[in-house]
Amino acid sequence: MELYLPIAELSVNPIIFLILGMLVGILSGMFGVGGGFLMTPLLVLLGIPPAVAVASEANHIVGSSLSGTIGHLKRNAVDIKLGNLLLAGGILGSFVGISIFNSLIKVGLIDLLISLTYFLFLTGVGSFMLYESLDSMGVFNKKKKSKPYHHSWIMGLPIRMRFKKSGLYISIIPPLTIGFIVGILASIMGVGGGFIMIPAMIYILRMPTSVVIGTSLYQIIFVTAIVTLLHSYHNQTVDIVLALILLLGGAVGAQIGVKLSSRLEGPMLRASLAVLVLSVGIVMASDLLIRPDETITLLIGGGSH
Amino acid sequence: MKHYIKIIFILIVLCAQAPLDLVIDTNERDVQINPGISGTRVVLFGATPTGKRDIMIEIVGPPKNQTMQEKRRFFGIWLGRGKSYYNNVPSYYNILSSGPFKDIADQENLNKLGLGIKNLPLGRAKIKHSTIKQIEFDDRLRSEMHDKGQFLEKEGDIILRSGPGKVGLFRTEFLLPPNSLQGKYFVRYFLFQNGEAISYAESSIELKQAGFARLIWLFANKFSLLYGIIAIILSGLLGWIVSILFTRLKLI
Repeated sequence: MELYLPIAELSVNPIIFLILGMLVGILSGMFGVGGGFLMTPLLVLLGIPPAVAVASEANHIVGSSLSGTIGHLKRNAVDIKLGNLLLAGGILGSFVGISIFNSLIKVGLIDLLISLTYFLFLTGVGSFMLYESLDSMGVFNKKKKSKPYHHSWIMGLPIRMRFKKSGLYISIIPPLTIGFIVGILASIMGVGGGFIMIPAMIYILRMPTSVVIGTSLYQIIFVTAIVTLLHSYHNQTVDIVLALILLLGGAVGAQIGVKLSSRLEGPMLRASLAVLVLSVGIVMASDLLIRPDETITLLIGGGSH
Repeated sequence: MKHYIKIIFILIVLCAQAPLDLVIDTNERDVQINPGISGTRVVLFGATPTGKRDIMIEIVGPPKNQTMQEKRRFFGIWLGRGKSYYNNVPSYYNILSSGPFKDIADQENLNKLGLGIKNLPLGRAKIKHSTIKQIEFDDRLRSEMHDKGQFLEKEGDIILRSGPGKVGLFRTEFLLPPNSLQGKYFVRYFLFQNGEAISYAESSIELKQAGFARLIWLFANKFSLLYGIIAIILSGLLGWIVSILFTRLKLI
C-alpha cells in the first residue's frame, strides 16, 4: 500500500504513519502533551523533510489538541481565562518564532536551530522527568519534600487577576511570558509546546494539576493553528495529507491514552516516557555530531528559492 | 500492485539510406497518471529498417526546481548551510538503447549528441553560502537523481525485431514513477549505424496528472493562505469527529 504525500513529495506507506500517529497519540493522551516533540523528529527519521515535518506536525496538533480539549471541557477542567492569557503570549511568540524561522532559512541555519532546540529541550525535559519519576518511585530514598505553598515573587508582580477555575490570584506577567516563550518554540519546533507548558504551569504558576492539561491543550489549539497558517502562507510546507493521516491515528490513540492513564502506574510510565524523550534527543544530537556519508545532498521539498 | 499501462503508438520509420525521407508518424496521446498507484508504464514502439543498426531513445521530463545542500563542520557541528538552487532540472530522464552504449557509439560521439545522464544539462545554479563549484553539486545531483530512479540509463532495453521485408520493428517500455510531474515529456529517437547517428526523430508525450496529489500541491502553492485555513479546519474537524465518535459510541 502506498500513499503519495503531495507537499513532502514522497510515496510512503500510510500504515506506518497511522501506527506512528496512534502510538504518539496514546502517549499524548496519557501525559497531556501534544506529542509533537516526539512526532516531528520521528517524521524526520522516516525521511520527511524537516521543514515539512515541522509545519505538518503543527497542523496535526490542531486536531489532536481540539479533541483532547473537548474531553477536558466535559470534565470542567479547563481554565479558559488563564488559557486566553497564555494564548495572547503564545500568539505574539509564534509571530516572533516564525520570523526567526524565516530569517534563519535565508541564512541557511534553520536545520541547526531545529536540531539544537530539540536537543536542548528533549534532553532537558527528559532528564527532569526521569529524575522526578525516579524520585517519586523512591529510588533516591529521600523523603518527599512538600511543595512550598506560598507563591514566589514572580506571582507578586503587578497587574494581578483572579482565576477562579485554578483558584489563583496572580500577576498576568508570568502567564504571558510563559505563553510567549512556548509560542516561539512551537513555531520553530513544530510542536504545541505542551511538554514545556505543563511543567511551567505546575511548577511556576502552581496551577492545580487537574486543570493544567486541559488548559494547556486549549491554548495549544490556537497557537498551532496560527503556526500552521504562517507556515502555509510563507513556506508552503504544510502537507495536509500527512497531517490528516497522523491525526486519524493520533486522535484514536489519544482517546485510548486518556483511558489507559487512569489504569497504569504514573511514575513508571513517566520514567519510560522520559527515556524515550531522552533517546530522541540523543538521536537528533548525533545527526549534528557524526560525519554524514555524503556532505552534498539533495534537499527534498525544502527547495524554497 | 498493478501498474497503470498506457501504450503510445509511435510509428517511426527511420530510413538510413535517405535521411531526407525520414518519416515520423506519431499518434500522440495524453497519458493519465494516478499518483498513489505505483506508476505508469509507457510502451513505445515503431518501425525501422532492418540491418546492423542500433536505436537509442531519450525521454526528458518537464523541468523542476531542485536544491542541493552542502554540510560543513562548524565548531564540531555538521551544518547544512551551503545551498545550490536549480531552476531547470529535468524531473525525469531516461535513456534506453538496443545494446550496451559502448557498442553503439564511442563516448565522444554520445557527448556530442548530448546523450546520457552525465550529458544532461541541469541549467545554471545559484550558489549560496558555499565555495564549492557548481560542477560538484551537479555531479551529486545527478547521482542522487539516479539513486532515486528519476535519472535512468537502460542499456539494452529496446528490443529489435525483423518485420516484413526490409522493415524492422522496435519496442521498449519504461515506468514513469507515481510522483511524475505533469507536462510534456520529450522523446528523441536516434538511429545508429557503425557508431554514427544516421537518423533522428522526435515526439512528445503529454502527461496529465489527474491526481488529487497534484491538485493539492498546486492549491498549496497558488492559494497558500486559503490552503492554510482549510488545513486547520480539516484538522480541527477530524479531531472533533473522532472525539465525538468515541464519546457517542463508547468505543472504549
